[in-house]
Amino acid sequence: MIARPKARLLHVENLSIAFGSMPVVKNVSFALDEGEILGLVGESGSGKSITCRSLLGLLPRNASVGGKIGFEGRDLLGLSSEEMRTIRGRDISMVFQNPSSHLDPLMTLGGHVMEPLRHHFGQTSKEARQNAIDVLRSVQINEPERRVDAYPHELSGGMKQRGMIGSATASRPRLLLADEPTTALDVTVQARILELMRELNRSHGLSIVFVSHDLAVVAELCHRVVVMRHGEIVEEGPAREILRSPRHEYTKLLIDSQPSSLALPPIVRKHKAETPLIEVERLSITYSKPSVLPGIRKDAVCALQEASLTVEAGESLGIVGESGSGKSTIARAIMRLVEPSGGEIRFRGRNIATIRGAELAVYRRKVQMVFQNPFDSLNPRMRIVETIAEPMVRHGLATRAQALERARGLMRQVELPLELADRKPRQLSGGQCQRVGIARALALDPEVLIADEVTSALDVTIQAQILRLLQRLRSERHLTVIYISHDLSVVRKFCDRIAVFRAARLVELGSAEAVFERPQESYTRLLLESAPRFERTLELAGASDE
Amino acid sequence: MMSLPLASTRRQLEPGTFEIIAGTAIILAWVILALAAPLFSGADPNSIDLSGLLQPPSADHFFGTDHLGRDVFTRVLHAARIDVWMGIAGVMPPLLVGATIGLVSGYAGGATDAVMMRLVDITVAFPFFVLVIAIVGILGPGLFNYFVALALVGWVSYARLVRAEVLVLKNKEFVAAAQALGYPPSIIMARHVLPNTLSSLLVYATTDAVLVLLAGASLGFLGLGVQPPTPEWGAMIADGQPYVVDAWWICFFPGLAAMSLGFGFILTSDGLSRVLGR
Repeated sequence: MIARPKARLLHVENLSIAFGSMPVVKNVSFALDEGEILGLVGESGSGKSITCRSLLGLLPRNASVGGKIGFEGRDLLGLSSEEMRTIRGRDISMVFQNPSSHLDPLMTLGGHVMEPLRHHFGQTSKEARQNAIDVLRSVQINEPERRVDAYPHELSGGMKQRGMIGSATASRPRLLLADEPTTALDVTVQARILELMRELNRSHGLSIVFVSHDLAVVAELCHRVVVMRHGEIVEEGPAREILRSPRHEYTKLLIDSQPSSLALPPIVRKHKAETPLIEVERLSITYSKPSVLPGIRKDAVCALQEASLTVEAGESLGIVGESGSGKSTIARAIMRLVEPSGGEIRFRGRNIATIRGAELAVYRRKVQMVFQNPFDSLNPRMRIVETIAEPMVRHGLATRAQALERARGLMRQVELPLELADRKPRQLSGGQCQRVGIARALALDPEVLIADEVTSALDVTIQAQILRLLQRLRSERHLTVIYISHDLSVVRKFCDRIAVFRAARLVELGSAEAVFERPQESYTRLLLESAPRFERTLELAGASDE
Repeated sequence: MMSLPLASTRRQLEPGTFEIIAGTAIILAWVILALAAPLFSGADPNSIDLSGLLQPPSADHFFGTDHLGRDVFTRVLHAARIDVWMGIAGVMPPLLVGATIGLVSGYAGGATDAVMMRLVDITVAFPFFVLVIAIVGILGPGLFNYFVALALVGWVSYARLVRAEVLVLKNKEFVAAAQALGYPPSIIMARHVLPNTLSSLLVYATTDAVLVLLAGASLGFLGLGVQPPTPEWGAMIADGQPYVVDAWWICFFPGLAAMSLGFGFILTSDGLSRVLGR
């Protein structure tokens, strides 16, 4: 399957990194053989990215580093910055998380690839250009002769990441450091980037250190895995072994938190209602970009085209799709945060576009939303307990004192420690902020809860906690949930029915089982195949072992 | 408004805390000097002593006497009452007017925004001083009219500042959350958007206080500010100007006073901007 490891390429010994008096990496040792892909897995704050950056000497000035990083017989930590520069981009290069912010917007794609060639090998611009085209072809960019002159804004996210990998591998480095290279990308794009990295590893013998929070991705790609937590290595070994029979408690927790292995208690639904709770009929939404001068023709962007679906009382409907598919737009339309340009949304048979005044206030109470970004969705100047209490006061459901008391009750319900009540959002973790968002949404005792990518910014163990919480609330309060996500494995666990969106259109709608087991549309099949699935990888790994 | 963020910054002792403490100490020192002026100098700031004109600084007259024999030390202290008040109170009218307009303009957008911002453009097209002098010239000299002129001219910077902040804030999810929770626009603006612009407003207001103070002193210098014989630093410098070669102290000490107070405001503003992360 893979070329057997030959020589030791990288040897990290007792690496310690501290910012001031705060240690972020403690005595970390690991090694990488030639032609090997090593996964560095951990949640936020585990020190995995810092470890990765230290290999290239790309740490902030205030960091103090100890230990040894051996690379081809040299200690990288002992090199001068001059010597380090000759290694960077030639022997070791790096790919970052967000291709949009790591590509120079004023430099063409070819320019990015040519730069290391000209800098490290002194190629003329003509030679470099020809080589750049070859490199772009090797990272599977179509029409490299044309794309070589394209600027980053003319390229898609996946293309940019290919370009960045091309730029990083142009000088044929021995080692590629990839810091969450697919986290900002859609699953279908992610699948192709992973395939590309595997291909580069196979054909060029490129060694890769792959940093990721996503165990499923690492399981698919890497030969060996290092699991980090709080700046320390908790477990290390061949990928299959670690994932199939983890020894350390934390690794077990990580694996159990994977959505696909998550056990959620089943929900007993009350008898089925005759009419659906929410009916969306031929809903279209177009955004018009503001024009330069008033009165001039406006460019319209179609965010949603004639989508129809229904939501039954008590069910949980999953809405999945990639970025730009219109999945968040439909949620915002149901919340009446955007105006439909065609079609209508009915709640218990009433068109929500026509309700006003007191009736609208009632509707607002019935349908609530939890937002994607845990820090962004709370007013940074308000105390937690005030944030949760405010909706009750504004809707005249309680006096201020009563509302504050009830807010504490809600905090208990979403499992937030009461001593956080007087804190500001920035003093809380992402998962805690998300719980506040849920408590605030529950303050008005809604019937429908719309959750828009509520766990996508959270670590997988926190995601598991939030999903369990939502499931519990669903059964306790008979909540109807609309769960929007790009993560198919989460949706599969959590939802009764699933709607798949693509490019502003609803492409498939059906029960979770039907969509996952017997997808009708080719796009749905593509989505399912692209998603890194933990158990499938394990099965494959198990099969190839025998 | 100022005491709240200060209290929290002192606890944390972040970089910038020293500037804030030093700056506010200077401002507070001037406030105390202004309020307690009679305690420090028993003399009447306006008593004319024609027998002791243009006396250099001495034990009797720490800062000397001016061309009418008035004690410069006493006058500098009494002038502080006008000038400190001018610096602190002078930023309030433009701040209130500007912040309100910026908030509404940024939040409402559309035609309201377009009209407001063209109004800003028109006002900005005139140099600050020229417009202030013209308005004071029409309304007549005096502190109150100066404040009116400031409100009419100075609001534009606050309006632009707040509008820019609001444009960013209104796309934040917590504003969408407030809308989804059915809060009325007035509440969203007052409770969720405005408080988040306060830190930049505060930083700008302390910087602006220097400008207002110096502009007021300049108007006094031009004879358009506080009318004689009321002591005011700018007017005092103007009075001393003909004698600057022979009796430098008449100009020097009010100038020093204005500079130190301005320095206090700038230090505070600098510290605040560091602490509040701007």
